[in-house]
Amino acid sequence: MQDPSISILKRHKPPRALISLVPMIDVMLILLVFFMVTSTYLNLDMIPAVERVDDASTSDGSSGSTGTATTIMIRLGADGVPTTQGRGFDLPALEALFLERMASGDDLRVLVLPSGAADMQALVSVMDAATRAGVTNLRVVRLEVAE
Amino acid sequence: MKLSRPVTRQPPETIVALIDVVFFLLVFFMLIGRMDATAPFDVAPPTAATGANMPAGGITISVSEGGNIAVDGVLVDRNALDDTVKPLIAQDANALVRINAHRETELRHVLPLVNRMEALGAQDVVLVVTPETSPPSQ
Repeated sequence: MQDPSISILKRHKPPRALISLVPMIDVMLILLVFFMVTSTYLNLDMIPAVERVDDASTSDGSSGSTGTATTIMIRLGADGVPTTQGRGFDLPALEALFLERMASGDDLRVLVLPSGAADMQALVSVMDAATRAGVTNLRVVRLEVAE
Repeated sequence: MKLSRPVTRQPPETIVALIDVVFFLLVFFMLIGRMDATAPFDVAPPTAATGANMPAGGITISVSEGGNIAVDGVLVDRNALDDTVKPLIAQDANALVRINAHRETELRHVLPLVNRMEALGAQDVVLVVTPETSPPSQ
């Protein structure tokens, strides 16, 4: 039997600690603002200008094919108009010319000789037309002043 | 006997929904954004329909319409370009060198860069373009 003079002291159960979510929200908002401000959202593609040459046989400029190759030289004037054999072409006509030359079955090698005053878009457009026509061997040549 | 209507307590607004929204926005911006160094001048790359997807990373050389050059977002004098890029290529010989030139930049500012990068040992040099949405006007 329990003595009534003795009172039993019970320790209160400590309240369950709550983890505050406020610091996490702060951190997430800072990260969000950081990514929104520092990221760029342009959709960018690339066109190879210099590609790694793994095969030594292709280092001489040939396409590696045993067939005959037809070379076509495209001059790019300062006004951005591609010309070949003295004739100016617009881009669809240039693409048609590439397709016509490729239809003969020979490998088509395209050399582009741009004027230094032509703009970047003109060169990219010519490269684009060649790629659309299926040309795989395209080189940009540049004249340098002899020493 | 007077009966008092119990005071209705407003439930505390939950912040879980806010956390969800912020988290989705965070993931969205992390996925669609590209953490590239931006050039200190305006660069609008040329448009092309046949460009390939460009991977992240590498060395970015930006060329302004007037021919100014920036390497990874830092304006560089044309004569000091070799000294700036050479250590970067030496660190990683397989690094992709991206030439991000404005679409109206004259080629005399761009094409020598390609040769110089090749001479410095860069094995992959690419021209940055944007996907074409309509035929380019010429």
